Amino acid sequence: MKRFDASKIARTLGIIMLFAAVACGGEDAATRAAAGKVAIALNWKPEPEFGGLYEAQRTDAFTKRGFDLEITGGPGAPVVQMVDAGKVEFGIAAADEVLLARDRGTDIVAVFATYQTNPQGIMVHASRGLQSLPDVFAAGGTLAVEPGVAYLKFFEKHFDLAKMKIVPYGYSIAPFLSDKDMAQQVFVTAEPIAARRQGADPQVFLIAESGFNPYAAVVITTGARARGESKRVADFVAALREGWRGYLDDPSQANARMGALNKEMDGETFRLGAEAQKPLIEDAFARQRGIGAMSLERWTQLGEQLRELGLIDHPAQPEQCFADAGATGGAPAQSR
Amino acid sequence: MKRRFVENVLPPAATFVLTTAAAEFGIRAAGISPLLLPTPSAVARAALQHSSTLLPALAMTAQAVVAGLALSIAVGLLVAIALSTSRWVERAFYPYAIFFQIVPIVAIAPLLVIWFGYGMRSVVAAAFIVSVFPVIANSLAGLLSVDPALGDLFRLYGASRAATLWKLSLPWALPNVLTGLRIAAGLAVIGAIVGEFVGGGGLGVVVLEAMRQQRTDLVFAAVLHAAALGLGLFAAVNATSHFALRRWHSQEKDT
Repeated sequence: MKRFDASKIARTLGIIMLFAAVACGGEDAATRAAAGKVAIALNWKPEPEFGGLYEAQRTDAFTKRGFDLEITGGPGAPVVQMVDAGKVEFGIAAADEVLLARDRGTDIVAVFATYQTNPQGIMVHASRGLQSLPDVFAAGGTLAVEPGVAYLKFFEKHFDLAKMKIVPYGYSIAPFLSDKDMAQQVFVTAEPIAARRQGADPQVFLIAESGFNPYAAVVITTGARARGESKRVADFVAALREGWRGYLDDPSQANARMGALNKEMDGETFRLGAEAQKPLIEDAFARQRGIGAMSLERWTQLGEQLRELGLIDHPAQPEQCFADAGATGGAPAQSR
Repeated sequence: MKRRFVENVLPPAATFVLTTAAAEFGIRAAGISPLLLPTPSAVARAALQHSSTLLPALAMTAQAVVAGLALSIAVGLLVAIALSTSRWVERAFYPYAIFFQIVPIVAIAPLLVIWFGYGMRSVVAAAFIVSVFPVIANSLAGLLSVDPALGDLFRLYGASRAATLWKLSLPWALPNVLTGLRIAAGLAVIGAIVGEFVGGGGLGVVVLEAMRQQRTDLVFAAVLHAAALGLGLFAAVNATSHFALRRWHSQEKDT
């Protein structure tokens, strides 16, 4: 449904292609920057999770700040590596990926966090009458998740998964639709809506409910750029924030734009997805500090959790993980 | 014997040491990010540090590969024998055998899960699908290349079809069958890893996990384990070939 089937392999191939790209050189991020061009690599197809970016591109949010935006990447793109290697200035990743990348010796920082509450969840059939994530795990059955995701490690540590058969998520909801005891990972903006539209009765438990809540759809860049070109980064973030404000207020035009680029998701799913994600993006914190703002407490907590799970080898330095240019003490969100 | 050891082992060992050292120093000198390309020493460290993950995964993948390969040998030989019985049968079915070889396993892998469910069966099926064709093609070539004079001789003495197959065609085709197996062994490993990407388990999942956790060194370590598995199977086929052919076939005689 949402995610195209060969994407895992594509991810693997992406690394190889990146080697080739790095080896061949070519136009690097620095020359583009001089021309006012700026590139951001996405980690998925155009979907509501990138709504603000496409809204900012559609309106004059980027152009009036002198940016000529290029949106690149897609499913399987090794975004962190692309940003680390300077192939693109900005990329989209999850907060846990930022900490992992830093732990592996890179200087990746987060500058904008789209989702205050992580939009990933576990989807089950509502007919099973399950009430919570521990219920899901106690009930058993098959659980399809992408191998190696941090939250699975968190579940393994804090819940008893002995009854679950854990299998790789193949980016298709077909197995879920045909198996009443199946549970699978979802983005609340996509799979549950697709499942409902295909006649299923899905119920989603957000991963955040378990106490593991990394910021998601985080805009990343290198620490060197965030420090050395802080004005440019702040301008980029301001443009993006303006786009998100517009998208939250009226997603229809950006949705049409994304729908033209991603034919697999229909207009109604775009509309419902944009609606479903609103509270995850603009909560009390974001209203006060600005959309995309981040807090040291959240980064500290995530660093401790990842360390506890053995996913990072060194203690995290949370204050170095993010630079939320223009958010701290910045303009509060406009009233609707 | 001792000289042969030096001749056979020293050149590849020297290549290994030189390329590893060059990679180690080259990567360090160029300052390449460990996320992009880890040094050989980092890969070795990851292999040791994660051996409790890698070795059981290797064992699981090896099981699937061996099962898939065994199926390929059995089915591949039977199909080749069936195709060799008559020109018409061969003409009718051989093009389809080629067609199935061309179907990319990566594209049909997600279907395997729907057909066979998650787990070992899908992985074995993937290993089988990619490794059966070289067995069919090479065995068939061998079966069809039997010296016509020898075929006439068997007919002259009134040998049954079974006897001709067992005593003439199969021994004649054996070197070809083994060539097919050498190719199939490497392909079966590839098939199994692709199968594990969708069906779960083994080195395939270790690769996916390590990718997601940005442990590029562990990705390389897992890939090397898979390569070692392919190499081990290749060596096993070679040993079988040596053992089976040394007494009569020029390919292995006097070596």
